[in-house]
Amino acid sequence: MIFREVEESDLIARARRQDVEAYNLLVSRWERRIYNYLLRLVKDREDALDLSQDVFLKAYQNLGKLEDVSRFTPWLFRIAHNEAYSLLRKNRPETDLDASIEGVDWGEVSPGRGMLPVEVSLAIESAMSRLSADQREAVVLKIYQGFKFEEMAEILECPVSTVKSRLYSALDLLKDTLAPVQMRGVE
Amino acid sequence: MSCSPFDLKDYFFSELSNENRRAVDQHVAACAGCRQELVALNLTRTALLAVPDEEPPRRIAFVSDKVFEPRWWQTIWHSGPKLGFISAAMLTAAILVHAQRPVTAPQAPAPQVQTVASAPGITEDELNRRVQKAVAEVESRQAAKFEQVLAKQKQMDFDQRAQLVSLEENFNVMRKTMGVMYGYRASADNKVTQ
Repeated sequence: MIFREVEESDLIARARRQDVEAYNLLVSRWERRIYNYLLRLVKDREDALDLSQDVFLKAYQNLGKLEDVSRFTPWLFRIAHNEAYSLLRKNRPETDLDASIEGVDWGEVSPGRGMLPVEVSLAIESAMSRLSADQREAVVLKIYQGFKFEEMAEILECPVSTVKSRLYSALDLLKDTLAPVQMRGVE
Repeated sequence: MSCSPFDLKDYFFSELSNENRRAVDQHVAACAGCRQELVALNLTRTALLAVPDEEPPRRIAFVSDKVFEPRWWQTIWHSGPKLGFISAAMLTAAILVHAQRPVTAPQAPAPQVQTVASAPGITEDELNRRVQKAVAEVESRQAAKFEQVLAKQKQMDFDQRAQLVSLEENFNVMRKTMGVMYGYRASADNKVTQ
């Protein structure tokens, strides 16, 4: 892990000196995570792909402004967060963001390509659609991306207490719906 | 509401310090309600993770993207060997151009020539003597000036030879540096591919 971090900081340093090859390696390491983060926010594969492209372009152009190389990951996700919210606001400028995200059809993405029991799949879609945009993003960053609270606060540019509040209220809602379903699946 | 000494969800997400974590461990071992809460949280997370990450439908490739290609001057500016080579080439060109230029001594002001022929009361002998004297003075001045120019030319030749020797040495150093850098880069690339 330490070796990988050292190597990554080396790649970032090279990319800052306009080394496209080094940046290409960084992209190949992060594209899957960034794409899936965006996909879970915007729920459209083409949009998620276009946004991913924009994220890596902006990151490349602004790499020189990154003061602390060790903060590359939250910095990259912060760019992705801004890109996603910019798109969502553009798509629905007349409504507030929560409403626009709640309008997204969660059924568009087939979970697990048919590997999931239908009951669990539907329950997840239903439960997630009841969360606010902020709560949903907190769940995505913690459960799917595995960030620590400090990193989430950096990405979302808000205090750790706010991050925890969003996540825990979301979990309480999800738990009421999903835990019994999952329990039945286990039984 | 949990009765745990510290937030049970912080505990669940491994966001507690070791000391606080041990305290919750002890509490959970004795508290059925908190154990049940942890089970529910775990089931929730498991359900959510049942929707797995996807592979991006296309790779995000940048190498061929024009936007990412650095400008020619950026390529040179960010490459030490290239910048050194260009600088050395420009220096060489400047030296060669300078060496090809004809050396022109600064134009001295024309000497004041007195027209003696028109002066009244001068004999022919006196005139010849004065002319010989003036010619001797002119020849002497020209000889001194020639010596001066010759010495300057010799100094310039010496300087140019010294610059060429220095340039050759710089080229040799640069060639070795490039060899070392390429070797380093090749080993770094091998490390990355491994």
